[in-house]
Amino acid sequence: MDRDQQRIDSIRRQQSELENHVMDEFFAGRMSRREFVRRSTVLGMGLTSIGAFLAACGTGTTTPPATGLKKGGKLIVAVIAPAGKIDPLSVADEGGLAVLGQAGEYLVWSDKDLKLRPVLATKWSSNSDGSVWTFTIRSGVKFNDGTALTAKDVAATMNTHADPGNKSNALSALSGVLSKGGAVAKDDTTVEFHLDAPNGSFPYLISSDNYNVIILPAGYDYSKKYEDSFLGTGPWKKTSFTTGKGVSFAKNASYWDSGAPNLDSLDMTFYAEDQPRILSLTSGTSDVISQFPIGAGQPLLNNPNVIAIGLRSTAHRQIHMRTDKGAFTDKRVRQAMALVVNRSDLVTGLLKGKGDIGNDSPFAPVFPFTDTSVAQRALDVAKAKQLMSDAGKSSGFSTTLYTWNSYEIPDLAALVKSAAQQIGVNVALQVLDPDTYYSKYWLDSELGITDYGHRGVPNVFLTAPLTSKGTWNAAHFANSAYDDLVKQYVSASDVPAQKKLAGQIETLLLDQTPIIFPYFYYHMSATKNTVSGVEPTAMGHINMKAAGIKS
Amino acid sequence: MARFLARRIGLALVTLWLLSIIVFVGANVLPGDVGRRILGPFADPRAVAVFNHQLGTDRPILVQYWSWLTHALRGDLGNSIAFGDPGVSMLTRALGNSLKLGLVAFLLVVPLGVLGGIVAALNRDRFLDRLITIAGISATAVPEFVFAILAILIIGVALRLLPITATAPDGSSVPVQFGYLILPAIPLVLVLFGYIARITRAGMIEALDADYTRTAVLKGLSYGTVIRRHVLRNALLPTIAVVATQTGYLIGGLVVIEFMFNYQGIGQLLFLAAQKKDFPLLQAGVMVIGAVYLIATLVADITYSLLNPRIRYGGAD
Repeated sequence: MDRDQQRIDSIRRQQSELENHVMDEFFAGRMSRREFVRRSTVLGMGLTSIGAFLAACGTGTTTPPATGLKKGGKLIVAVIAPAGKIDPLSVADEGGLAVLGQAGEYLVWSDKDLKLRPVLATKWSSNSDGSVWTFTIRSGVKFNDGTALTAKDVAATMNTHADPGNKSNALSALSGVLSKGGAVAKDDTTVEFHLDAPNGSFPYLISSDNYNVIILPAGYDYSKKYEDSFLGTGPWKKTSFTTGKGVSFAKNASYWDSGAPNLDSLDMTFYAEDQPRILSLTSGTSDVISQFPIGAGQPLLNNPNVIAIGLRSTAHRQIHMRTDKGAFTDKRVRQAMALVVNRSDLVTGLLKGKGDIGNDSPFAPVFPFTDTSVAQRALDVAKAKQLMSDAGKSSGFSTTLYTWNSYEIPDLAALVKSAAQQIGVNVALQVLDPDTYYSKYWLDSELGITDYGHRGVPNVFLTAPLTSKGTWNAAHFANSAYDDLVKQYVSASDVPAQKKLAGQIETLLLDQTPIIFPYFYYHMSATKNTVSGVEPTAMGHINMKAAGIKS
Repeated sequence: MARFLARRIGLALVTLWLLSIIVFVGANVLPGDVGRRILGPFADPRAVAVFNHQLGTDRPILVQYWSWLTHALRGDLGNSIAFGDPGVSMLTRALGNSLKLGLVAFLLVVPLGVLGGIVAALNRDRFLDRLITIAGISATAVPEFVFAILAILIIGVALRLLPITATAPDGSSVPVQFGYLILPAIPLVLVLFGYIARITRAGMIEALDADYTRTAVLKGLSYGTVIRRHVLRNALLPTIAVVATQTGYLIGGLVVIEFMFNYQGIGQLLFLAAQKKDFPLLQAGVMVIGAVYLIATLVADITYSLLNPRIRYGGAD
């Protein structure tokens, strides 16, 4: 037995049955290296073990840290102005979460490749059916007010967010998964999560993807103004905050990860509009911009002094068609509508190529478990006309498409209108302000376009807008076979089973087509070319822990 | 004079009260609700209803207005719903910023505009007059954001002579703050220059043609004295009225400029408050801008009356 095999066997002996199963899949070639790393981290296998295992298999895993950086200095990040107060319970926007994640930290970090990385939790594992998850909390961590972090703080934070009475924005992911009291501190470094139902992706639901759940002390009073303290265990400590203007941070000298952050200080300047934020980078006023829309940010893509970072994401627009009444009750009509949408043109024209084509299911190409063997729906006007004829709608009909005015959405609506004309569907457009759309038309319109932000796992996309009891089910889609498949998918932690179920769900949704998923757009951010080590995520986080100025 | 002042102040208070009613009714007929705006589109409808109840926005509009008015009369303008801060402190900061920008623009444009008008009038129908008049009118006709974009792209991005944001770093000295405000003041100067210059020119020409000017010349006064003591004193009366009406615009009407230069002035704050249906902030802000308008007009009236005794003593009646 060679030394590599001995090392592999040694690592295997320390892992659970599920983790060994993942290794088997990797060995058998049924799982890519990327999928292996991602799946292993979900199951709680430590990065050291993953690295050692891959090294023994002849493939490295460690990502080289940013090198060639000056020690110290200050960077200015231009972020979207937070929509309201920076409050761990209520933050629901990209500007707010980008700020929240500086002084605050999560148990687990969901990175740009949708892999999990330990932060305040060093490892995690589940029982055999994924209904109880155990997290080990890092020792020696202090909040920036000097108090020590314990498992009680973690349990209290999670129970606070899981309590419907607190109206936490995190509930959209935790509802039906974790109830108040489900997080229990077993000792100072161990937290057990007793879930409402088995969930194979639970670590994602309490990771940075669920951006409200920064860990705060057990006795923290959430009615207090968080902006006064910016309490947290993160690498940064607030020095000043002005509503609407920005926040300044200094290095947290007692940060648990010695050597980090690299910079001495960090300023986050708030910009209410895209153009000034973009211009701040080109004029040298800021060093980093956390996000820019592809349309407004065209000049950045060709600027030699700027590094544009495009991250594949699962963020998308959904074109829902109401299935329970009106013109779209016949699935053939819905299929016809989907067939006349030219997805390639949309990605090229609206997104300048910075997006992935959708296949009318939430399984974005970037998800490792998307079954890519399911045929891609392509433009086919002749087939669409035939379907309309079969449905008795060959002469077409009139309908109204409701949506709201932001980014490329009005252009998408106009292109859908134009495409629908090819099969005789006369679409009137109602492009509204967001408040009117979401309060009056979103869940009651026959045809509408809604935007969905990035998620590390598709669970929310699969449940809320598509299951029979989904709270955001604008299509009013009710299909018991689908509900059952999603239930199985959510609880599955076995890789082949998840992929198989994904394929079945994709096929079912292509047949039923309650929603057209035209594309998944990239998350764009940018830095000066003199800056390195900035880590954005498609969720909207901007991790500045390893950032610095090139030497 | 006291009666004149008392009447004007009384009218100003009535105007503010009417303004408060208009804004309250206007804000309430806007579509959507506050809870939805704050908690986001994906929030549970029950949570939105509970939040609206907590805020009191589900009460009848008259009850809400009465509650606001009684608190406002006690000096309590409430907290911003979206940001949680007291409306007064947010408005004070934003108003301070707006006053700084307005002051810089004012200090640049008033002397330039008046000077331009005087030079044009003194060179009536000659090249310099036509140049100032045509250039001024052309610049006034161009929207301010066009000049703002050009200023940002040319002066800020290409030449990098001035910062493109109007907000100076915390703790900056007054000269540094002034430096940050020059670029956003440029479009304002360009837009207002022609207006002020034209009014000054018209007033100057009227005064130059007046009998009292001819008399002053004929009695042997020097040219400079005639212009300074007889022409300007009369010619600037309409200019003062125009500048006063622009003060309100310079304080509260620079929404576009504030957005483009990322400046946290009162215009931007009120726009965001309206967008978020943040009633307490919106209401308080409109009251503040209304008060600024009224005070500026009052100051202009007083200045006008000091320069024109016919108004001071009711001689015009």
